[in-house]
Amino acid sequence: MIENNDLARIITGCKGGDDKCFAQIIDMYASRCYGYFCRLTGNNDISDELLSELFVKLVEKIGSYKGGSFESWLFKIASNIFHDHLRSKQRRKKLLESQVAEFESGTTEQKKSDGELTDKLQIQLGRLDEGTRELIMLRFYSQLSFKEIAQMRSEPIGTTLAKTHRALNKLREYMEG
Amino acid sequence: MDDRNKENLRELFEKFFDAERAESCVEDIQKAEQILHKHPAPEPDDMLIANIKAEIAMRLQVSRAHRLRRIIYEVVGAAAVILFVAAVSLQLFEKDPPSGIVNYASIIPTAIWESDDIAVDDEELAVFTVQIEQIEDEVLALQSGEDTGNGDSTLTELEMELIEINSDFWKG
Repeated sequence: MIENNDLARIITGCKGGDDKCFAQIIDMYASRCYGYFCRLTGNNDISDELLSELFVKLVEKIGSYKGGSFESWLFKIASNIFHDHLRSKQRRKKLLESQVAEFESGTTEQKKSDGELTDKLQIQLGRLDEGTRELIMLRFYSQLSFKEIAQMRSEPIGTTLAKTHRALNKLREYMEG
Repeated sequence: MDDRNKENLRELFEKFFDAERAESCVEDIQKAEQILHKHPAPEPDDMLIANIKAEIAMRLQVSRAHRLRRIIYEVVGAAAVILFVAAVSLQLFEKDPPSGIVNYASIIPTAIWESDDIAVDDEELAVFTVQIEQIEDEVLALQSGEDTGNGDSTLTELEMELIEINSDFWKG
C-alpha cells in the first residue's frame, strides 16, 4: 500500500510532466480501473480503450487536481469516461437499429462480439440495471468510503448506503440463486 | 483490496438503523463483497500498459516541445516590442528641428508672413530695400571720408535711422 506522502510526491511529479511518475500512477491504478471498466462494459476490448482514454485524460487534467482523495478524483474521471462511452454506444445502437430495420433478416440470434466477458458474475451483473451495477463497481474498485461515494454522486450518505446495500443483496441473490 | 476504506460500517449503519438491523446490513455487504473478491475481473494486458505508458511519454514530450516553443515565441515577441519602442523613441529624439530653420523663419515679420496682400508687402519691402541702400551709401561715404558734415552727428543720424528701420520692419 502506497503511503500518502509517496502518492503526493508522485502527483507533484506528474504535475511537473514527469513521465516516470505517470508510469507509477498507471502501475498503481491500472488494475483497479481496468476491473471497473470490465465489469461495467462486460468487454475486454472496450475496457482497453477506456483505460487508455482514462490515463490520457489524467495527463491532461492532472493540473486541475487540487488535493483531497486522489482515488475519488480518478474514479470520477473514470465514471465520466464510462458515461461518455454509454452515450456514444446509445447513438451507435440507434443508428444500427435504423439500418437493421431496413435489412430485416429472419434470424434473431446475436453473435457475441470479441472480448466479451462471460463469467458467472458478469452474467449476473448484466441482470442489474446500469445505475446499480455502477454503484457496486465504484464501491468495490475505487475503494472509496461511503462518504466519498456519496459526495461524488452528490447524494446524502444514507441514500448511498441504502442503495449499495440493496444492490449488493440483489447481486448476492442472483449469484446464489 | 483488503485494506480498503477504514470507515466503521457498523457505526455508519447505526446512524440510520437500530443496532440489530445495522449488524445485518454490514454482514450483507461483507458477504456480497466476498463474492466480488471470488470473481476477480481480468487484469489489463502488459502490452496495453506498455502502450499507454509510451503514449503518455510521447504526449508529454510533445507538450514540452510546445511549451518551449511558446516560451521562445514570447521572448522573441517581447524583444521585438522592446526594439520597436526603442527605435521609435530614438527617431522621436532625433527629429528635434535644426535651430537654423527656426531662426530663418523668425527673421520674417509676422505681418508679412501672415499677410495675403502681396502688392502692399512688395511695396514695403521696396521701401526697406531703398532705405538699406541709402544707409549703405552713407556708411561707404563715411568710410571714404566723403561726408562733409560733422562726423559725430552723421553717425548719430545713421544710428537713429537704423533703429527706426528696425522698429518699422518688426512692426510689419
